[in-house]
Amino acid sequence: MSWNRVSVIGAGLIHMGELFEQSYEQMARGAFDAAVGSVDNGFDPTEIDAVFVATQRGTLWGQEGIGGNTIPSAIGLAGVACTRVENACPTGSDAFRVGCMAVASGVHDVVLVIGVEKMRDKSSDEGLLARAAAGHPVYTRGESAPVLFAPFATRHMHEFGTTREMLASVAVKNHHNGVLDPYAHFRNEVTIEQVLAAPPVCSPLHLLDCCPQTDGAAAIVITSPERAADFTDRPVFVAGFGVATDHPYLHEKSTYVGLPATVEASRRAYEMAGISPADVDVAEVHDCFTITEILDIEDLGFVEKGRGGIASIEGQTALDGRIPVNPSGGLLAKGHPIGATGIAQLTECWWQLRGQADERQVAVRNGFALQHNVGGRGSGVSVVNILTTNGP
Amino acid sequence: MTAVVRTRSLDASITAVGVAVPEWRVAVADIDSAWGRSPGRGTLAVCRADEDPLTLAWAAADRALTAAGLSVDAIDGMWWGCTRPPFAEGPSWTTLAATLHLDSTVDGALFAGSTHAGVDALLAAVDAVSAGRVHTALVVTSDALLPATGTGHETSAGAGAAAVVLQSDSGPARLVRSAHRWEPRLDRYRGDREAETRETYDGRLFREQAYLPMLGDVGDALVDDGDPAGRWSVPDPDGRLARALLKRLATPGGAAEDVAAGDRSRLGDLGSAAALVGAAAALGTPGPLHLLASGGGRVSGITVIVDRPVPGAEQVAAALAGGEAVTYTRVLRARGVLSPTGESVEMAVPPGSAMFGRGAGEMLGLLAARCVDCGTLNTPPDVHPTCISCGSTKFDIVPLGRTGTVQTFVVNRTMPSPFEAPLPLVVVDLDDGGRIQLQGGDDGADLAVGAPVHLVLRRYAVERGVPVYGWKVLSAHSRQEITQ
Repeated sequence: MSWNRVSVIGAGLIHMGELFEQSYEQMARGAFDAAVGSVDNGFDPTEIDAVFVATQRGTLWGQEGIGGNTIPSAIGLAGVACTRVENACPTGSDAFRVGCMAVASGVHDVVLVIGVEKMRDKSSDEGLLARAAAGHPVYTRGESAPVLFAPFATRHMHEFGTTREMLASVAVKNHHNGVLDPYAHFRNEVTIEQVLAAPPVCSPLHLLDCCPQTDGAAAIVITSPERAADFTDRPVFVAGFGVATDHPYLHEKSTYVGLPATVEASRRAYEMAGISPADVDVAEVHDCFTITEILDIEDLGFVEKGRGGIASIEGQTALDGRIPVNPSGGLLAKGHPIGATGIAQLTECWWQLRGQADERQVAVRNGFALQHNVGGRGSGVSVVNILTTNGP
Repeated sequence: MTAVVRTRSLDASITAVGVAVPEWRVAVADIDSAWGRSPGRGTLAVCRADEDPLTLAWAAADRALTAAGLSVDAIDGMWWGCTRPPFAEGPSWTTLAATLHLDSTVDGALFAGSTHAGVDALLAAVDAVSAGRVHTALVVTSDALLPATGTGHETSAGAGAAAVVLQSDSGPARLVRSAHRWEPRLDRYRGDREAETRETYDGRLFREQAYLPMLGDVGDALVDDGDPAGRWSVPDPDGRLARALLKRLATPGGAAEDVAAGDRSRLGDLGSAAALVGAAAALGTPGPLHLLASGGGRVSGITVIVDRPVPGAEQVAAALAGGEAVTYTRVLRARGVLSPTGESVEMAVPPGSAMFGRGAGEMLGLLAARCVDCGTLNTPPDVHPTCISCGSTKFDIVPLGRTGTVQTFVVNRTMPSPFEAPLPLVVVDLDDGGRIQLQGGDDGADLAVGAPVHLVLRRYAVERGVPVYGWKVLSAHSRQEITQ
């Protein structure tokens, strides 16, 4: 039996991309309007009594430690309770989990979880690449984002014979899905040959194996199943969630062909939802790099360890495959505005479960959609949320 | 007229030797052509961006200690001579001592100020050993001169290091005599705020009034008691002076042999390291051997009697051979003369900050916290109050081993300044059971999962003007490590 103590009544996002013309606050307003406007029976935003803001990088303002008061005034809710949540790449998905706990505890009634991230107000060199100079002065020096995942590709290829073509098939599929997603950053098809021939970034990953740097925002409105009945006749419930951590240094991993944080986070989420991986109809997973999606589908239990590359190139994760993965285009095509990413994935899950995903709609048989992020130092934190249409 | 030269007898022995030179070789002709000059001959050993006199000093010292078969605990003094220590003022000596795991009570000194610094260090160590103040001394000489761009000096200045272990007991090579003299000569110099060493004002003046007479007089003083002319290791600041000096040093005993001639044409002049690097291979063959050094108007000579091959000497030729050809453009970039325009990414942790204070010793010494309960090696210690394997909180601090195999690796090709691509990052399974993530020390072309590797000291960054050192990973088959 699933947890089902929280319902999603609205969700929405803005068109992801290099939004040079939009401010952080304007992006937030756009996502907020989209979420509020999506509520079936209409919704007065003053019903919201708490906001959780998911923003991973505060360095836009020259200070990492921004607070939760950055958003309420931008969305016309100045004065509301508001807290910023930060948890690396799973920032958005963890803010959602925190919001769910706030509702389930009875402390708050209607909660807005809003993810907003400016990735492109600073140059690449000063943005994600500058990460190479962060952390330990020697032991992590040079560890830009691809370095967190590329070593796993090297090892996965060594142990399982995974090929660059198999990695490329993930990019081909997600770009195809992105073409069908009006909110995606990239809306163009790519071929295996193009992925293989793209400039090298961090061996064995090339440019099209990597997600872009994307600005974006997404928002979701949650409440108790009882209150949800006031707003919608087609409620979606939170079936379960899980968070797990692992050691923060790359040299402390127990394996280089999987991410233990994902395994444990999903185990907890499945247990809370009372389901097994086979019950999941569709999954939005963390594909910051092609190898990451291959690790994810193994670690989440969709395919056997070592078979992720083969499953991908065989089409098992396509829209019409055995387990459709990243119908939205994923981070590779839709983009990865870090704090917004998890909320945008949950929005896609909400649409898929409600049959609102248009051309990219997958077959929903069991009524379960899974959302996943993994990241942080040494990819040491993962969050999994599971939504369902199967009511209490 | 021969000037007064003072000689004195020495009483110490060399018990082991090690040398190190960078892998990069730049053709003198490539430098000449960039400046529109007719092409000269030979090559120069030059530093990569992550090498400097300290990393070379470490490599030579490590080899000498290995050749000596000594535990580092046996060393009770370290003397280092270097024209250009990494800190003109600052913790150069202590940084080197930390990388070598010297005990915190070890004696010694750093000599700098001119290319005479190497022999200053050697003689100071000899005196300490002779006096019984230390029993086993490590003497390191290293240099990577930074010549003024576009000058003739740039076509002769190389980089390298040599280290010897000294003891008072009768060793395979005895230091028996020294000689010295000085004049306040403006030869090659740089002012207090100058980065590059200036070329001599007048090359002919230097040759005729300083180099030949002063080194000739000191050389004569070393042999005037009737020794055969024998073998010589002499400095050659412009690549053409040694030949004239050796002619001058010929005696009725026979022609003087320049033991460093071949290496010098491939490596260039090695500044304060020239005398010992030049003599290192010859320490493998019995017979007398004379070392000359000069700089800042001072000239010293030392006579060594080799009774039997010095441990480490037979690895010298291999350590000085080989190399990777690089262009002058790459050399200028590594030297920092050519640098990209625009912003450079700052290290998140300033080198003067408390975290560096906590981490400096464990970074330089490659230290781990070994769990007392389960033996797991936790690295680095200061961020591991709790064992990652068993949760214990009791540790012994131990140095990690420096050999292992590749668990996994990447080669990063998209790096903001000041990083330079390609930059390999490697997770190494060390043979002692530790595991560590470090940068690769070359382009990573030889890396493969399971391949044997070893760790070398390199300069990770010059951050806010401060050199930051740590360990990097090289393939065990790399040409850079061929002596051990």
